[in-house]
Amino acid sequence: MLREIQQVLRFVQLLGKRRQQSGLNVKGGLLVLVWTETGPSVQSLNCAVAAAGPWCIGINMKALQPDLKECMFPCACPCLPPDPEELCAFTDLYGSLRLLLTFQMKDASPEWCARIETFLHTYSLANAKIKIHFKFKFSQQTFQRDFSVKIKNKAGGNQRPPECVKKGCWCQGGHPVLGDRLPLSIPPAAMDQGLFGELSIQAVTLLSPCVLQYPNLPTQLTHIQVLVYGPSNVPVTGPSTFFQNLPAHLDCQEVGLHGLHCSSFKDLVHSGGTVYTVEQENCEDPEQESSPAPIRQSLLLYIFLQHSDPFTYQLSDMMATEVLIERHLEDILNNNKQAVTKAVQTELKNTLKAQNQRKKNQQKMRSAAEVILGSSLSIVSSSSNMDFRNACLHSMKMSDTYDLSASLRESLRRVTSWKFTPKNICYSAQVEEYPESDEPTRTEI
Amino acid sequence: MSLMGSSVAELFSAIDKLRAELLNNVEVLTDCQRVEGEISHGEILSLIENVILGIVTSLSKDEAPFLALPDRSNWANISFDSAIGLRMTLGSSVTTIRSDCPSSVTKFAQILKIFVVIYKLVQSNSYATKRFFVVNSHFEKITKLATSKGLISGDLCYMEEDGTRIDCRSCSAAAAVSSNIAGIRNIVSHAKFIMIVEKDATFQRLLDDDFCTKLSPCIMITGKGVPDVNSRLMVRKLWDTLHIPILALVDADPHGIEIMCIYKYGSVSMSFEAHSLTVPSVMWLGLLPSDLQRLRVPEDVLIPLTKRDESKLSSLLKRPYLASQPEWQKEMELMQQSKVKAEIQSLAAIAPDFLTNIYLPNKLRYGGWV
Repeated sequence: MLREIQQVLRFVQLLGKRRQQSGLNVKGGLLVLVWTETGPSVQSLNCAVAAAGPWCIGINMKALQPDLKECMFPCACPCLPPDPEELCAFTDLYGSLRLLLTFQMKDASPEWCARIETFLHTYSLANAKIKIHFKFKFSQQTFQRDFSVKIKNKAGGNQRPPECVKKGCWCQGGHPVLGDRLPLSIPPAAMDQGLFGELSIQAVTLLSPCVLQYPNLPTQLTHIQVLVYGPSNVPVTGPSTFFQNLPAHLDCQEVGLHGLHCSSFKDLVHSGGTVYTVEQENCEDPEQESSPAPIRQSLLLYIFLQHSDPFTYQLSDMMATEVLIERHLEDILNNNKQAVTKAVQTELKNTLKAQNQRKKNQQKMRSAAEVILGSSLSIVSSSSNMDFRNACLHSMKMSDTYDLSASLRESLRRVTSWKFTPKNICYSAQVEEYPESDEPTRTEI
Repeated sequence: MSLMGSSVAELFSAIDKLRAELLNNVEVLTDCQRVEGEISHGEILSLIENVILGIVTSLSKDEAPFLALPDRSNWANISFDSAIGLRMTLGSSVTTIRSDCPSSVTKFAQILKIFVVIYKLVQSNSYATKRFFVVNSHFEKITKLATSKGLISGDLCYMEEDGTRIDCRSCSAAAAVSSNIAGIRNIVSHAKFIMIVEKDATFQRLLDDDFCTKLSPCIMITGKGVPDVNSRLMVRKLWDTLHIPILALVDADPHGIEIMCIYKYGSVSMSFEAHSLTVPSVMWLGLLPSDLQRLRVPEDVLIPLTKRDESKLSSLLKRPYLASQPEWQKEMELMQQSKVKAEIQSLAAIAPDFLTNIYLPNKLRYGGWV
């Protein structure tokens, strides 16, 4: 089923490309509706994929059927169309349907629902303004998830701001940074299968949540997720052995990390792409441990595959090329192992340069804070001016210099750690005093 | 010319006349006025306590403390007073040193640490050198600073605060300028004039040539280039005590002129202490740009002005104090026109002992200063 959904998305995206429409700039909606049907002997899964909105203008379904179905869904069986009422809510939002494809899957793989969810989520991470609605109906129960990018170019997030952000602003999400483009050589086996032309990868990194507006906050990178997309911006499915083994070939020290470990297969299924867990350094200094808890960040590394071949212009050829690229992806990556590894290393290093500088600054601030506190308390303690001493104690509402010391320390740490410096590039949402609780149907990056 | 053949009266007639003029024209600070400018121990402690209270108050309001210091490098904060020199004016631009910014937090901490040391010194009524501050403040970088780099020689004896007796009359070696100028007492000197020498090389040459004996009684002092605070304090102290002419012997180049201006009018960075550091009565003895022409100093020892020299010269001519020194302006304009500079050592091209035996004695005898 995932393959079919993938093909539909490729179809729509490539159509849009041919019409010189960039998928990133055009809005629209995608509905993936799955429902169960109990037949005489077996329960089957039915799936309908519908698209509407400006992003699929120009699609003529009647002209494309039935060749399209054969081309896109060679393994799928036909099924009855979905309940029109299910489609009403969708068309109310995005206008009349431009595309509606239905098919039946008899032998769905385990965890199919999680896989579809993950795939749709990964797709939404690289395709702004396409709102995706996934709905599954089973025995009178309905499960629904919506996926979209909230803010164009600024990757709005759903990260709840830390509790200490009582005033000021919190940048929702992160800021994609375009990396270098790396040409790839096509391995002979792929060429034998018909893959020609120029192939390259374009890297984009996104560190989330953004803490640029809080330059003194400690941060901790906990995960790195590598997402691979085909030339049509549709995610490549399935785990990648190349990326799973990549940490062994990275120079973590040069990047500024202690180590990277690839997450378990189960985690991969649920998270999309390849996820690395970042090894954390042991904190021996108890003073450091008591500092404000570091903001946990994750790094998204987008790998966009780009392909151009002047002899490939038919839609079916382009879709076939995408399938070929995905099928031979491991081979392609291994054929360019050194270059790809170096490119990933460079992207990680560039992204983490700022993080590493932040750590150094924090060490400097911590050392200086000790001197500031020690000096202030030394003068208060050794002063014979009762008015001065009382004014200091009264100001901090303390009764003696011992309590004053602890209070000043905590206050200095708080004001310096949470220093707020507004940035034009940040989406600065005002933090509400009583933030709303999470709604299960809304997921955003 | 033989120095021994001239009477002392003839040799110093011009100097004595200058001294009389200076005593008539220049405001002399009395001891009372000097004491007025001083600050009491209690006031120092209070000032520091106010800073600390400010920091505590900021933290009590959940605000990051900061220090606001007058910007000592900004000419906008400087005004010229002919009686004092360059002085800092209050209420002008300030530099903010924040405690929540990595680029300034170290400086913030250093300032507080210095306050602690000062506080304790004042409480115990003692003093310390800058080296003491650096070594005891546990900073990462320890810079090696000389306590005082200036040298002094000539007809001068005094006692330091700890009772050490300093006699500068040794012919062959100079005494180091004291670290604690404020503590100097019992100054005894019959010197007719004080000569500020820009460079240590020239100072040593004059020592070797026994200048202080030949032109006795006199005092010679060098700050070895740009003078440190102690050297400037020493010159000021000698002026306040002896009220004798102070003559500067610097290279005929913009750098030398600037050094002379520091002694006379002060520097931007220390303008807040101008009243205790400047000696507006300093006269320019040499090497004057006009001397180069007059003495026909060989061209091969003259050095063309660099772009940097020309830029500095232009900047000097725009300084507020030059307006009251038309003779200095003329000399500097002459340098601008000739586009050449010369070191004092260039006089050796005329004759090896020209500086000590001809140039300086004639300059002093005939009032060749501006």
